[in-house]
Amino acid sequence: MSALPARHPAAPTFLGRPSRPEPVVEVTPTRAQRSARPRLLAAIGSVVGLFGILAAQLLLTIATSEGAYEISALQAQQSELGRDQQVLVEQLQVLDAPQHLAAEAQALGMVAGSSAAYLRLSDGVVLGTPTAASESSALVTAPDGSPLIPNSLLANVPSAAGAAAGAGAAAGAGVEAPADATSPIPVTGTDAPAAGTVDGQDTGPVAPVDGTGTGAPTADGAVGSVASSSPTGIPTPKTH
Amino acid sequence: MVTVPRTTRRRLSLAMLITIAVFSVFIVRLVDIQIVRADELNASSLDQRAISDTTYAARGDIVDSSGDVLAGSVIRYDITTSPRIVPSSFERGDGDDAVEVTLAEASAEVAEITGQTQADVLRSFTANPESDFEYVVQKVTTEQMRAVTALEIPGVYPVERPARIYPDGSVAGNLIGFVGTEGPQNGLEFTEDSCLASTNGSSTYERGADGIRLPGSTVTTQPAIEGGTVTTTIDADLQWSVQQMIAEQAVAIGAESATASVTEVKTGKVLALADYPSVDPNNVDGTPATNLGSLAFSTPYEPGSTFKPMTAAMLLDSGVSSPASRVTVPYRWTSPEGSTVRDAVGHDELRLTLAGVIQESSNVGISQLAVGLSNQARYDYMRAFGVGSRTEVDFQGESAGLLAETWDDQQKYDVSYGQGVAVTAAQMASIYQTLGNGGERLPLTLVTGCTLPDGTVVDAAPTGGTQVVSEAAADGVVEMMEGVVTGGDLAADLAIPGYRVAAKSGTAEIAENGRYTSERIVSIAGLAPAEDPQYAVVVTFTKPSTIKTSAAAAPTFNKIMTQVLKTYRVTPSPTPSPKLPTTW
Repeated sequence: MSALPARHPAAPTFLGRPSRPEPVVEVTPTRAQRSARPRLLAAIGSVVGLFGILAAQLLLTIATSEGAYEISALQAQQSELGRDQQVLVEQLQVLDAPQHLAAEAQALGMVAGSSAAYLRLSDGVVLGTPTAASESSALVTAPDGSPLIPNSLLANVPSAAGAAAGAGAAAGAGVEAPADATSPIPVTGTDAPAAGTVDGQDTGPVAPVDGTGTGAPTADGAVGSVASSSPTGIPTPKTH
Repeated sequence: MVTVPRTTRRRLSLAMLITIAVFSVFIVRLVDIQIVRADELNASSLDQRAISDTTYAARGDIVDSSGDVLAGSVIRYDITTSPRIVPSSFERGDGDDAVEVTLAEASAEVAEITGQTQADVLRSFTANPESDFEYVVQKVTTEQMRAVTALEIPGVYPVERPARIYPDGSVAGNLIGFVGTEGPQNGLEFTEDSCLASTNGSSTYERGADGIRLPGSTVTTQPAIEGGTVTTTIDADLQWSVQQMIAEQAVAIGAESATASVTEVKTGKVLALADYPSVDPNNVDGTPATNLGSLAFSTPYEPGSTFKPMTAAMLLDSGVSSPASRVTVPYRWTSPEGSTVRDAVGHDELRLTLAGVIQESSNVGISQLAVGLSNQARYDYMRAFGVGSRTEVDFQGESAGLLAETWDDQQKYDVSYGQGVAVTAAQMASIYQTLGNGGERLPLTLVTGCTLPDGTVVDAAPTGGTQVVSEAAADGVVEMMEGVVTGGDLAADLAIPGYRVAAKSGTAEIAENGRYTSERIVSIAGLAPAEDPQYAVVVTFTKPSTIKTSAAAAPTFNKIMTQVLKTYRVTPSPTPSPKLPTTW
């Protein structure tokens, strides 16, 4: 528009009507301005648009607050799952404690090997001087029977191996119990009846491998490989 | 111009004035509310709607060299109550299934879960009936908290409370320390606190009448910053084995205390450092206060004959002696200055080489050879070996030991065989690391660094070493120490079939009130495999009651070294130990 200011649209009118008092300056709309008069359609369009925006805004708000409920529910769920995870990680860490693993291994009839020797697979050569492990390398406990390297977190952890070893020993005919009542090897958990240990898992703070699961086969293999004799003091297995 | 009547103008002015006055009041009030008291009013308005929320940031873990958690953070719960709104009985369940439960019954149920007595629980509800806050029980586990919550007792709320657990119990408890109610109090928990400490986050949000958080209303005032992870050089499984072994032997020989260390010779890393007795950080109250720390760092002792290899190393390094150097050794010898040195057991006059002096552990022999070096030179060597200064570990309460700068005519002989000088077990580990590593002393390392939550590692341990004695001197000493295992009095106890082992025994007298007593500190320090030493093991028993010689420590040294060789899959030595001439 501003590129065409020189044209004076009032000039012919001026020439045709000389009697009319001459204005000094007259503001006249351009053609474009004249054609841009408000139209009903435009008005309706604007109003509809406005309402459209308001409706969208409303729907958006409703959706957001719907989302708030969902977020709230999911956050509650996340927090519960976070607690579950923490409980399980904590259990795992405690079960992973070396004292516990050693006591469990011993309950399965294992003792620590006392010599360093290796079998080289490439040529079958035995390196070092192997000697058989004996009961003398079993864990020693304090005079009062408590572990020498205490861990109070293990106080409430039932022995999975105690129950599992019982299952294995009874199942393997003629297999000696690695832990009879007079053995110097202290076996965690054998004092408790196996049934109690297994039942206790439902409510106990820890849910170790039970006798029916992976525990029994493992126990079988381990106990079966140890020469042994008297099954006194071994709890009766609930299942095999 | 239109003329306006005077009265109208006056009325108009009045109206204007009033309008301006009213607007002025509004503006003043607006400025007051929106600017002057804005913060205060905002805060109090938010208080009415906003809920503040604490996000607990976990204190960092302390982990062993393979990442096993030695100290970790967990959330425990305090069960709190507002007795004011706890009813004397309430309905549990919905609709037709609802049952009436009295507070006494509910208290019994809570007591069953938390292990309290019913009376205790009931008292927390009824002691201060107008109170808004009482503890029912503190620090219960998640399972207990869930069980209590499931009882649906009105006015009972669980509150989160961060706590510390030590999954391995007293395994490395001597090093890890513990966190008390007043914050970290011992060991690495204390010294590494700047890495481990976390900052709890806080935020506020607004919630509607139904308790649901309003979208977009969360304002974080402090982001939660998790603590860093402290990585130690400890191998938790080996640490347990070593602790178990020294504890078994300490009980068997009636020792008052014991320490053992396993050090990686090529890196200076402490793989295991055991103290007996040591604390279970989960149960600090169950341990006497004197056993809460690490004796291996805090308590120097006169080491006795385990010092002789270091003396031999300085003699070889300075060229004063060689393994074949000859010395005539009576049982009791009087020095030119008139002081007296005696061997541990009576014997006829022996003609020993330096190798023989080490094998027989002759105080007289090492004393005669040691003075071939000036006191100052020996003092400087000992300082270079780390005697008289704290190790780089800088453990809490670590001792520098005792090393006098000037020695009298008796002490100048005594220090050559480890009396009249005191070291910590940690310093002893460093001396044997140096001997095993071709004479290069590396900084003793217990913590490799602090890993921040974003994965960056800060405070990495120093690694630069110093050459204390020549490689030839150090290797020569290791060869001489092999003679202790192949031909010394304890050979049967020390030898590990298939491996070349270098070791030295020590039976030191304990001085009390200025006099040596009948109490002993017995120790074995050694290296394996001797042809290329990888691991240094130092075992010490204090005040054994049944066996008062280093024979008490030898079987334990053997068990620990065997365990180390197995743990790290060290292949057996290809050649047997050399036989150095020990007599002439």
